[in-house]
Amino acid sequence: MIKQPFNNIKLGAFVLSGLVFIILLLYLIGKNQHLFGTSFHLKVRVDNVQGLKPGNNVRFAGIDVGTVKKINIINDSVIEIDMVIEEEVQSVIRKNAMVSIKTDGLVGNKVIEITSAKLSAPTVENGDMLTPKKLIDTDEMLRTLNKTNNDLAIITENLKITVTRINNSKAVWNLLNDESIPKNLNQSLANIRKVTQTAGFMANDLQLMVSGVKSGKGTLGKIITDTVIAANINETILSIQAISKHADTLVKQLNATVADVQNNLNNGPGTVNALLKDSSLTNKLQLSLLNIQKGTDGFNQNMEALKHNFFFRGYFKRLEKEKIKANGKTQTN
Amino acid sequence: MDNPTALKLFLDEVGDISRFAGKFLTQWFKPRYEIAEFVRQCFVIGYQSLPLVGLTGFIMGLVLTLQLRPSMVDYGVESQLPAIVGIAIVREIGPVITALIFAGKIGSSIGAELGSMKVTEQIDAMEVSGTNPFKYLVVSRVMAAICMLPILAVLSDAISLYGAYLGVNIKGATSFRLFWMLVIDNLAFNDVLPAFIKTFFFGFAVGIIGCYKGYNSKKGTEGVGHSANSAVVISSVVIFIIDLLAVQITDFLGFN
Repeated sequence: MIKQPFNNIKLGAFVLSGLVFIILLLYLIGKNQHLFGTSFHLKVRVDNVQGLKPGNNVRFAGIDVGTVKKINIINDSVIEIDMVIEEEVQSVIRKNAMVSIKTDGLVGNKVIEITSAKLSAPTVENGDMLTPKKLIDTDEMLRTLNKTNNDLAIITENLKITVTRINNSKAVWNLLNDESIPKNLNQSLANIRKVTQTAGFMANDLQLMVSGVKSGKGTLGKIITDTVIAANINETILSIQAISKHADTLVKQLNATVADVQNNLNNGPGTVNALLKDSSLTNKLQLSLLNIQKGTDGFNQNMEALKHNFFFRGYFKRLEKEKIKANGKTQTN
Repeated sequence: MDNPTALKLFLDEVGDISRFAGKFLTQWFKPRYEIAEFVRQCFVIGYQSLPLVGLTGFIMGLVLTLQLRPSMVDYGVESQLPAIVGIAIVREIGPVITALIFAGKIGSSIGAELGSMKVTEQIDAMEVSGTNPFKYLVVSRVMAAICMLPILAVLSDAISLYGAYLGVNIKGATSFRLFWMLVIDNLAFNDVLPAFIKTFFFGFAVGIIGCYKGYNSKKGTEGVGHSANSAVVISSVVIFIIDLLAVQITDFLGFN
């Protein structure tokens, strides 16, 4: 019995430590669930809570600021979520803040994320209803991702084949190893730049011309814009058309005439046909020409003899003098 | 021993224990209250069990962490190790391991103590001297067991969590503050309260079975050993049965 007080102290310490720990544990859990301290309520209505449960965390800018208190089914397409939020963040959450249900990591618990809107608005009050954000369905996202993955696999396979082909191609490697190509390419680019610049100027000029023509400046402008000229041109074209028709008729007639002449030449009884076709006539003609040449030679000799004849010599000398005179006059002029 | 006889004996024993428990409940409310004996039993049952329970809890926390770690690393959720270990310790490992150790130490101790008193006719002597032996011996011990086991379980949880913290830091680097935050963040009242409440029933089961076995000890000194042994065995089985019922009830009430 002497040890009784000492034992009581030990027992008291033992019991107290156990009680303190359990109370501390419960207090911290309660604090974590925002059961103690001042808080306020916010609500949001969604069509699907995606497995959200009472007790899930509410985050604002990634910070845990509250928990889900209650989930009420209003009707078949509206579910109201009641959130308990720490009062100290009431001054930073605006009435136009957006609410979305997200997953903590890929397979974690559901959380409610409150996101600030860009436009300013008054701060929230107890019991305010926030606006839900359009939710992204993870399943749909994964389905899309799956399709993308399949496409990516095909693309990668094709890319692999292409790269292998490029690797095995000597021509490509020669092309890549050729140091002159970059220089040429640079030069080409510079040329292209110049050409582009020139084309730009040309385009500008052309634009000016076109605008000039549109406004009726210059011959072309007048042609395009002047209705009188247009009427004249039209008339001219009509005349040309008429002339063309007439010419066509003429050409036909000419063709017929030529055909007729040709026929006559080839088969007719005329002189020309005889000249072209009769060889004996040709021989006779040649003989006649020879005789004429001989006759003219003899005549020339007779004429020369006549010049030296006593009776006609004076006449010829007079002719020469007149000829010389005429030449002198032309030279002085 | 044929089956009908064994069943009859079993049912007889269950009936006896139920009557014993009923007697405890009626005697508990009646004065005179043996406060001094209750406090003494609290010291013996609770305080003196702490080193054993603490050591077991510490080892369990450490071992559980080290055993869970490879799987958590495989799944890429190593950072959640404190959360998982915390939930496992608080919900199940802490209360059950503490109760089993408690049954081994206290159940056998009560069984042997009361058994030896029974066979040496000290209990009969108390009755003759006008002292209510049931109230003095049984009620004080069972009440001490009911009150001390929850405290032991809570302290065991704390020591286990510290062991888990050391386990996490053997192959990693997590500050105590972060470890503690991760544990608390992932605990809810649903985890702590049912686990805490069921330890009262564990304490009651260990106390009442130990006392029943000792109080009804027979066959001299041989019976004392048998009482101590059967008190531990039955208490351990009953702890698991209560655990099974507790999880069903909490599940039914929506606490899981």
